[in-house]
Amino acid sequence: MSFTEIVFYAFSAIMVVAALGVISARNPVHSALSLVLTFFATAAIWMLLEAEFLAITLVLVYVGAVMVLFLFVVMMLDINITQMRAGFMRFLPFGILVALILAVQMILVVGPANFGLDVAGFASPVEHAADYSNTKELGRVLYTDYVFPFEIAAVILLVAIVAAISLTMRRRPQTKYQTPGKQVMVKKEDRLRIIKMQTEEKQ
Amino acid sequence: MLENYLPVLIFMCVGLITGLVMILLGGFILAPRKPNAEKNSPYECGFEAFEDARLKFDIRYYLVAILFIIFDLEIAFLFPWAIVLEDIGIFGITAMGIFLGILVIGFIYEWKKGALEWE
Repeated sequence: MSFTEIVFYAFSAIMVVAALGVISARNPVHSALSLVLTFFATAAIWMLLEAEFLAITLVLVYVGAVMVLFLFVVMMLDINITQMRAGFMRFLPFGILVALILAVQMILVVGPANFGLDVAGFASPVEHAADYSNTKELGRVLYTDYVFPFEIAAVILLVAIVAAISLTMRRRPQTKYQTPGKQVMVKKEDRLRIIKMQTEEKQ
Repeated sequence: MLENYLPVLIFMCVGLITGLVMILLGGFILAPRKPNAEKNSPYECGFEAFEDARLKFDIRYYLVAILFIIFDLEIAFLFPWAIVLEDIGIFGITAMGIFLGILVIGFIYEWKKGALEWE
């Protein structure tokens, strides 16, 4: 077994254990943190596939932004854990069935036979040289050959912006807040009034 | 290519081992552990804890965070583009111009809608 294979199996084991932790942890915060570990292990496996840009993007976007948002929401919600776990045994057979169907579908679709690869003699691709840049290769095709899907990605992001704003934006007229511009513009005459009055006699 | 990442792997292992050794040494081996019911109970200003720490309240930060993720993804698209800019030329610049233009529409929308206002 080569060193790369050992690293692959180590990270795969971490990923499977962490993924089991996501669905079995009692505390939702532990579950979210297990998901972070799963993403890290996945990033390491992508790195082994020489997809360095995707691996770093996974850490940057998912671990850095999405999971922070997940953790944030999980910590804020009052999730009733006992109520959530109530129907576990009842839904378990159905869940296993759905998972099996999903797994079979994925194996059928992304199996090596669909890409013209020989299953029996599954040859590993040739390793690239030390100066190979995956980011460069990605950039060369993404903005030329795949320019249409790239623009579609922009439209999808635009839809996400509009959807997030229209779903969660609410005006709160009752909230009190300061307007710093007005505060700065205030002059002495607006606030201070000097009143002339008689001094009182000394007694 | 992967040999470039060997230092990263070694660094991860060193980090993991250092963390584990510190927790095991400090928490289980060197420190005295004599727990009792009072020590293990949650402490809340001297009186009994009567509420769960998690409660519902309005998360206004959520919208800002979602918008941050969207623009974070936009930035991720800029990195490979910047590296190969010399190869893809005017076509690449135009493609990224359209991409950024579409997202600027979204940015103007959120700005005008007041989604960035904190109130």
